[in-house]
Amino acid sequence: MSNVKIKSKNLNVYYGDKQALFDVNLDLNEKEVTALIGPSGCGKSTFIRCINRMNDVIDICKVTGNIEMDGLNINDKDLDVVSLRERVGMVFQKPNPFPKSIYDNISYGPKIHGKGETKSELDQIVENSLKKSALWEEVKDRLDEPGTSLSGGQQQRLCIARAISVNPEVILMDEPCSALDPIATAKIEELIDELKKTYTIVIVTHSMAQAVRVSQKTGFFHLGKLIEVGKTEKIFKNPDNKMTQDYITGRFG
Amino acid sequence: MNIVLIFLITIFSVSLFFYGKSKTKTISIKDNIKLNALPKFYGYYLVLWCSIPALVFLLVWSLFEPVIIKSIIIETAANQGAILSDKNEANLIYEKIKAIHLGTYFGDIDSILRESAIAYAKFINLFTNSKVVLIFGIIIASVIYSLKKIKNNNKARDDVEVILKGLLFVSSLIAILTTLGIIFSLLFESIKFFSVINIFDYLFGTNWSPQRAFVRDASSITAAEFEELKDAFGFIPLIAGTSFIAFIAMLVAVPIGLFSGIYMAEYASIKVRRISKPIIEILAGIPTVVYGFFAALTVGPFFRQVGENLGLTVSSESALAAGLIMGIMIIPYVSSLSDDVINSVPQSLRDGSYAVGATKSETIKQVVIPAALPGIIGSVLLAISRAIGETMIVVMAAGLAANLTINPLESTTTITTQIVMILVGDQEFDSPKTQSAFALGLTLFIATLILNYIAQRAVKKYREKYD
Repeated sequence: MSNVKIKSKNLNVYYGDKQALFDVNLDLNEKEVTALIGPSGCGKSTFIRCINRMNDVIDICKVTGNIEMDGLNINDKDLDVVSLRERVGMVFQKPNPFPKSIYDNISYGPKIHGKGETKSELDQIVENSLKKSALWEEVKDRLDEPGTSLSGGQQQRLCIARAISVNPEVILMDEPCSALDPIATAKIEELIDELKKTYTIVIVTHSMAQAVRVSQKTGFFHLGKLIEVGKTEKIFKNPDNKMTQDYITGRFG
Repeated sequence: MNIVLIFLITIFSVSLFFYGKSKTKTISIKDNIKLNALPKFYGYYLVLWCSIPALVFLLVWSLFEPVIIKSIIIETAANQGAILSDKNEANLIYEKIKAIHLGTYFGDIDSILRESAIAYAKFINLFTNSKVVLIFGIIIASVIYSLKKIKNNNKARDDVEVILKGLLFVSSLIAILTTLGIIFSLLFESIKFFSVINIFDYLFGTNWSPQRAFVRDASSITAAEFEELKDAFGFIPLIAGTSFIAFIAMLVAVPIGLFSGIYMAEYASIKVRRISKPIIEILAGIPTVVYGFFAALTVGPFFRQVGENLGLTVSSESALAAGLIMGIMIIPYVSSLSDDVINSVPQSLRDGSYAVGATKSETIKQVVIPAALPGIIGSVLLAISRAIGETMIVVMAAGLAANLTINPLESTTTITTQIVMILVGDQEFDSPKTQSAFALGLTLFIATLILNYIAQRAVKKYREKYD
């Protein structure tokens, strides 16, 4: 049994008057892939955005309850968000490379955190990140081309490399394959399999098949509530809850 | 007469609208057929057919009637024995004849004038009568035609669309043609100017004193005078003054405008934004003449006072005062344009930057501003072309003397100020002095055209990236 990396207790999130999450209690295991599934608007993305405090960007968003990473209270008002995000990286639904060169896209994070003081150290970080995201071979000769010139799948791997570049412990992925074709998706899934050896990964996905393929643990959200969570195999073969059963067999959603 | 005609055409058209509407309704009920369009389209169809041909005819007629009558009358007068040696005399006699006809002529009336005036009255009568007859003829013809059409249940909706498209096309054609007309008049007058003054003397001369050419017909300039005129129209001091003041204005407007744009787009809460954005935009609505007297009466003397206290000689009309006020005037342009540009940088880019742990200011500096840069450059270029074309503030605050100086405390002048100075008051129209205004206008136009072109290219390049 792996260690618990992130633990949420009675987590509630409000957008203005609207409550988006209700008492979510969810443990995420270290060096494992946890998939979050559920119909649109059920709070999966809201939940992972609590882990790196991305909800801070939204003025009207309010988070109550407890969420801890290795005993560190993430929801603490005095927490240094910069160092939290250094430890918890994120990949978004739509590839969002900066309008900079491929090299600058990767070196952006390390520079901000003062890593890679010399050019050669920085080169090394860029190379390692691109190798880990399986993009190195494709782009090593054109690092100074704009990141936006890559294909969609390559852009998403570039964004994964960008997340890896600051050497985080956790990577959050918010529907990372929803804008990609099946071949690019397969590559990303392969990559996730590889990455879980080093990182704790949380992936939000609308594809049941993807959840089965990449994750060890699955949580099913519905209308802001965590309905059921358990080993992926169990959730998809023999769920306890009728609603989970209905969702994974496509009877609603 | 024309007003009465237009009024009649309007009344007639409006009543035809209701007639067409009810007529087609009755047809469809009586014959039990399905109309090709709603009854109101048949109404519109009649209105357009009744009014447009008649109005177009009236317009064309009114344009050509005076010209034709004039040439006929001048010819009549000449046949009567009037001596018309040149165009001016012909014009004069025509004006006299017109005045006699209107009863406002108080000079001696000789037999030539009297005969011509009688002929004039005859022609005016003839033309007016035929105009009225022709207009009614046209209206009747087009109404008969269109009534026949709607009785045959034509596709009135499509026909109305076609006519409206034509109207819109004509409107845009007028807009384009007038612009072209202005450009060509600038061009032709400038060519006249450059036939007297060498274009290189103009472009590279360092002395601007057009007063020397005052009240001088271009054709009667002697060789000696020409030599003196040669270096009176040097463009360099004007472009230097213009660029200098625009530069000072940009020093004020770009940082303040850009920073306030960044604040508005990135930091201000919705509440602050809702209040302060309109306030900044009010600055753009203040007439420039108000800025002008503020510059001339408050800021200029203030600088002179401060300068005196510091032991500096500051002219009360200075490039500094004009540039500063112009900069303040331009702030809202830079601020609201860059605000828009920054706002259109996708949130996903900011999220990507926050997610690797960047702070807000790091994100703005390293991701948002670079992404918005082409748009920001575009907005700055637009602001520069506004600064160059601005007139009122510099007329009031910068002075009139064409000094070639880089001392911001001295008075200087700009292209637009000089155009105003040249054209104010009575002017001999073909003196090189007056024509030089057109040359200046043309140069200014080309300069702002180039700037606007570059600005639009920059903005467009930016749009392509994110759409």
